[in-house]
Amino acid sequence: MAAGGRTHQRSASRLWPALALPGTAWLVIFFVVPFYAIAAVAFGATDPLFGSPVPVWNPLQWQFGDLSRVLHRAVTGDLRPVFVRTFGYVAAALALCIVIGYPVAYYVARLAGRRRGLLLALILAPWWINYLTRMLAWINLLQPDGYVNRTLEATHLVSQPVDWLGGHAYTVVIALAYGYLPFFIVPLFATLDRIDGRLLEASRDLGIGGAGTFWHVTLPLSRQGLLTAAAITVLPMFADYYTNTLVSGSPTTTMVGNQIEFYLLQSQEKGLGAALVLVLSVLLMALMAYYLIATQRASRELS
Amino acid sequence: MAMHPRERPVYDRRRFLRNSLYVSLGTVAAPGLLSACSSTGSSTSAANTVLPLARPDDPVTLPLHDDIPAIADDMDPETGILKVFNYSDYLAPGLLKAFGEEYGVEVEVTTFNSMDEAVAKLRTGQARFDVFFPTPDILAKVVVGKLLQPINLSYLPNLSNAWPSLQDPFYDRGPLYTVPYNVYTTGIGYRADQVSDIPANGYDLLWDERYAGKIHILDDGREAIGMSLVRSGVTDVNTEDPELIRAAGAELSKLVSAVRVKVDINGYTEVPEGRATVHQCWSGDMISAQYYLPKDESTDVLGYLYPTGQPGVVGSDTIAVAAGAEHPVLAHHFLNYLLDEKNALRNFGWVGYQPALQKFTPSYLSGQGYVPANLESTVVTLEDYRSGLQLLQLSPTGRTLWDDTWATFKSG
Repeated sequence: MAAGGRTHQRSASRLWPALALPGTAWLVIFFVVPFYAIAAVAFGATDPLFGSPVPVWNPLQWQFGDLSRVLHRAVTGDLRPVFVRTFGYVAAALALCIVIGYPVAYYVARLAGRRRGLLLALILAPWWINYLTRMLAWINLLQPDGYVNRTLEATHLVSQPVDWLGGHAYTVVIALAYGYLPFFIVPLFATLDRIDGRLLEASRDLGIGGAGTFWHVTLPLSRQGLLTAAAITVLPMFADYYTNTLVSGSPTTTMVGNQIEFYLLQSQEKGLGAALVLVLSVLLMALMAYYLIATQRASRELS
Repeated sequence: MAMHPRERPVYDRRRFLRNSLYVSLGTVAAPGLLSACSSTGSSTSAANTVLPLARPDDPVTLPLHDDIPAIADDMDPETGILKVFNYSDYLAPGLLKAFGEEYGVEVEVTTFNSMDEAVAKLRTGQARFDVFFPTPDILAKVVVGKLLQPINLSYLPNLSNAWPSLQDPFYDRGPLYTVPYNVYTTGIGYRADQVSDIPANGYDLLWDERYAGKIHILDDGREAIGMSLVRSGVTDVNTEDPELIRAAGAELSKLVSAVRVKVDINGYTEVPEGRATVHQCWSGDMISAQYYLPKDESTDVLGYLYPTGQPGVVGSDTIAVAAGAEHPVLAHHFLNYLLDEKNALRNFGWVGYQPALQKFTPSYLSGQGYVPANLESTVVTLEDYRSGLQLLQLSPTGRTLWDDTWATFKSG
């Protein structure tokens, strides 16, 4: 019996690492290798004839000129307003996602009853359409004589058509929030859905009331979901450039993603673009690290 | 290198909707990665070569290589598939079909989005093309980099149809490697129904605060900064003087706060569809714009300003035979075919960019019905080209100066 148990244990200890192998290989191939390639370009050389980057794979030969130039410009130069703007837009878009997304997720999870399946399908429906197509549709809607302005004018909310596409921060923030809202709602829904209804009943039985229950029970219990939803929406927003290009296209709203696109596609200084990618990645990793620590702390508190 | 009129962002609306509604987002970033990573195995034999910078008053004879000879005279064209490497929508499909029928071959066009991308792909050597369409500003490096083969002029009698100055152009004396393709000017497309008065210095139109929010400039540092230089009276648009470049950049930056200037290369749709009132654009954009007008609008609402009485920017394209072409003789016949007047006119009718042929004067093209009378200024004359300023190759340090200035402008 005892010997048989040990064999079983040993084969199980081999089985689980084996099952993790495809995932690990996936990560290595599609994350670690490309990331290393970006570093090799950022710290690499430039072909003197063609002006194209020559990746240097040996870290001992890496040169950090491009990185220090990017850092310098991010602190005092032309990239500073770009970083400030990017953080501002992402924060505003995230706030918009919370204001719009939380009530929707709450409603679908707790109050929708029999219609929740349908509602969830409707929230996910935009995913059936390509992101770019949806954004392009917004351009038609927001045109000076588009449906949005016509509706606003018909209801006398505005007297002049709003110049949505004239290079304004608010249009970019709205477009970002729109683009990533489903990513926000779904994880939040999953968390809200898992909250034990008996806890809410208990809270109400103890006389805390609707608002108090939400504040003292639902909100703390959904904190992990909020964090996950925020992480999932914020990461792609930071690197987004096409949303901005489509609905604004003006230097007044340039984000980090736009400058990366410029350096990589239009300029001869592709090393600078790669260095900028690295700087952004490090910032995002710091955010991810905070997320991981926060969720760990939250789950420890729960147990 | 300057951006080319046919460069289209991968998320261009028209193209996107026309070509595929279901393209995955993943492909958006692909060209960038491609051009960034494709040059992995570059052996730079010409590492220390200083490239000749061709200028109209300082012509260049490109070097020949012993290991890449031109084809011999009097050979028969090959059969099979002629492989053409070009911008998208820059050759009339009907013309390619007609060529194929005449020679009993097929023509296969592979497209690229920018010269950077094209050169990166050619350098991999994996895809072998017969015909390539380089711009004059990259010629020196693709020739030194052994990506083109010399042409044999005995196959190209139609070269005599081309503008005399382009039969032996300054960027390729001989010519040894290229024949001319299209010419264009960079000017200002505008809504003639909304812009009533043109200022004395035509470029000031782009700084006119009455059109705030609806002013666009080309998303290309060379074109935009070059225009700002010309506006302030500088005629050397290939200058590498940091003072001049920064001053021109500072003038552009005024557009950001004053009119929230927009930056794109879609003048051919933005103007006819009414999103832009004033748009720095290429001449061919305004010829194409007539096809993007709403149904009930006449072409009278469109205008194109190529400032007269002061210098403007002109550009041209070339056609070349790629090194390692599998159908070099057929490729020569194709070059000659495109230089034929009838074929060139047919091509122009489809692409909207004007071949550099002597016969194609403003009155001729407008008489043929291809260009509305009020847009005759879009047609490039010999004189425009002669007196025009060209955005040409810069030294690496000069290029960095321009790039940095443009990056500063773009960061808002």
